[in-house]
Amino acid sequence: MTHTPILAARDVRKRYGAVVALDGVSLDVERGEVVCLIGPSGSGKSTLLRCLNALETVDSGTVAFEGRDIRAKADDARLVRRRMGMVFQNFELFPHLSVLRNLTIGPTTVLRLDMAEAEQRARALLLRVGLIDKAMVHPSALSGGQQQRVAIARALAMEPALMLFDEPTSALDPETIGEVLAVMKGLADDGMTMVVVTHEMDFARRVADRVVVFDHGRIIEVGPPAQIFEAPHAARTRDFLSHLGWHGESIDIGIKEKT
Amino acid sequence: MDINFQPLLDSWVFLLRAIGTTVLLSVLSMLVGFVVGVFVGALRTYGGRLVGALLAFYVDTMRAIPLLVVLVWMFFAFPILFGVRIDSMTAAVVALGLHLGAYVAEAIRAGLTSVRRGQMYAALALGMSRTQAIRTIILPQALIRMLPPLGSLFTIAIKDSAIASVIAVPELLRQSQTLAGQTFRPFEIYTSAMFVYFLLCYPVARGTDALYRRLSHLGSS
Repeated sequence: MTHTPILAARDVRKRYGAVVALDGVSLDVERGEVVCLIGPSGSGKSTLLRCLNALETVDSGTVAFEGRDIRAKADDARLVRRRMGMVFQNFELFPHLSVLRNLTIGPTTVLRLDMAEAEQRARALLLRVGLIDKAMVHPSALSGGQQQRVAIARALAMEPALMLFDEPTSALDPETIGEVLAVMKGLADDGMTMVVVTHEMDFARRVADRVVVFDHGRIIEVGPPAQIFEAPHAARTRDFLSHLGWHGESIDIGIKEKT
Repeated sequence: MDINFQPLLDSWVFLLRAIGTTVLLSVLSMLVGFVVGVFVGALRTYGGRLVGALLAFYVDTMRAIPLLVVLVWMFFAFPILFGVRIDSMTAAVVALGLHLGAYVAEAIRAGLTSVRRGQMYAALALGMSRTQAIRTIILPQALIRMLPPLGSLFTIAIKDSAIASVIAVPELLRQSQTLAGQTFRPFEIYTSAMFVYFLLCYPVARGTDALYRRLSHLGSS
C-alpha cells in the first residue's frame, strides 16, 4: 500500500544571491502530526515555511501538498494556500478591517461563502480563541497576544488541512506568549496538522511529535522531542540547545488563565 | 476708493453658473486624475518592467510639461492630430485629469510600497490572488496613508481649474473676466473670485485632514 504524506518537500534548494538559504531540505509531514522546526536565526526555517505554501519559489526540488505539486502555476499555488493556514511572526492582521472582517474576508473573497455563513464561522472561532467580545474592534485596539490569537482564528476560518506557524510568539511580550501557545496546544490536541517554526523549546518539547533541527540551510537532526532535547545525536544540536535556557512554564500559565 | 458690488449682485445667476462649472470641472478632473493615478500607481508598483517603463514615461512627461501647455495642446493640437472635434470642457477635464493623474500615481506608488510585505504574504496565504490582495488589503491602507498628499493634490486641482479659462471654459475666472470687462469693476469681481476659490479649497484641505486624523490608525500595519 502506498502512503502519501500530507506535505512532502524533496531536496528543496533556495538561494538569495550569494546566500544559500536552503541547501537541499527534505521533509515529510503526516496528517495530524505536529512538527516543530528549531535552529539558530537565519538557518532557513522560515524560508522553508514560505516555500511550503509557495509564498517563496524554490530554485530546485519539489514541494507536494496532498499529492499535488505546488511549485507549478500561480493558480495551483492559490488552491493549495486555501487549504493551508499561515500565522506570521508580526501577526499581519489587516489594520483597516474589524476583527470580524479579518476573519470573514478570506472565506467570502476566496471561498465565496456568503457573509452570514462566514460571520457565523468567524464568531465560533473568536469564541474558541476567547475574543468574541472583540469582534467589532480594529486590530490596533488589541494587545500582541490578542492579535496573534485573532490571526490564528483568521487562518482557521479557511478550514485548512494544515497550519504553518512562523515564529508565532517571537514578537510578543513574555506575559502574552502563554495565551498564544495555549491556543496552539489546543489546536494540536484537536488533531490539527501543524508545522511550527519556534524558539519556544518548551512548546516544542511538549507538543511536537517530531522536532527538526536546522543549521545553515540544512536539516541536521530529526527526531521525537525526547531524543532531540534529552539525547541529541548531532553535536550541533547539543551546541544550539545549550545556548538556550528553558522558558519556564509559560504554557501552563496560559492554560491555567484560560480555564 | 469707490467700491460697488451691485454689478456682482445683478449677475449672480451668471456667476453662480460659473462657480458650478468650476466645481464640475474640478470634480471631473479629480475623478479622472484619481482613477488614472490609482491604476498607473498600482501598475508601476506591481506591473512588469515594460509596463513600468511606459507609465514612468507618462508620469515624467506630465511632470515636465506645464499644465497650461498640456491644456492648450489638448484643445488646439489634439483635434488636428486625430481629426476629431472636442469641446473646451472635455479638453479641460482630460488635460487637468491626466496632469493630476501623474501626481496621484506617485502618491499611490509611495503608499503601496510603504505597506509592509507581510500584508501581501498574509493575503496570499489566505488564497487571494495578487489582484484581490492589492484591491482589498494593500490599496485601502495605501489610500489612508496617502490622504494628506491626496488632499493637497485635490486642492491644487480646484485651483488649476482656473487655467481652463484660456480655452474659454465658462468657469469662475473666465466669467469673472467677462463680467469685469463689461462692468469695469475688476476689483470687486476678482476679489470675490479669490474669496470663492478659498471657500472651495479650504473645506477640502480641512476635510481630508480631519478624515486622516480619524482613519490614520486603520492604515498602519
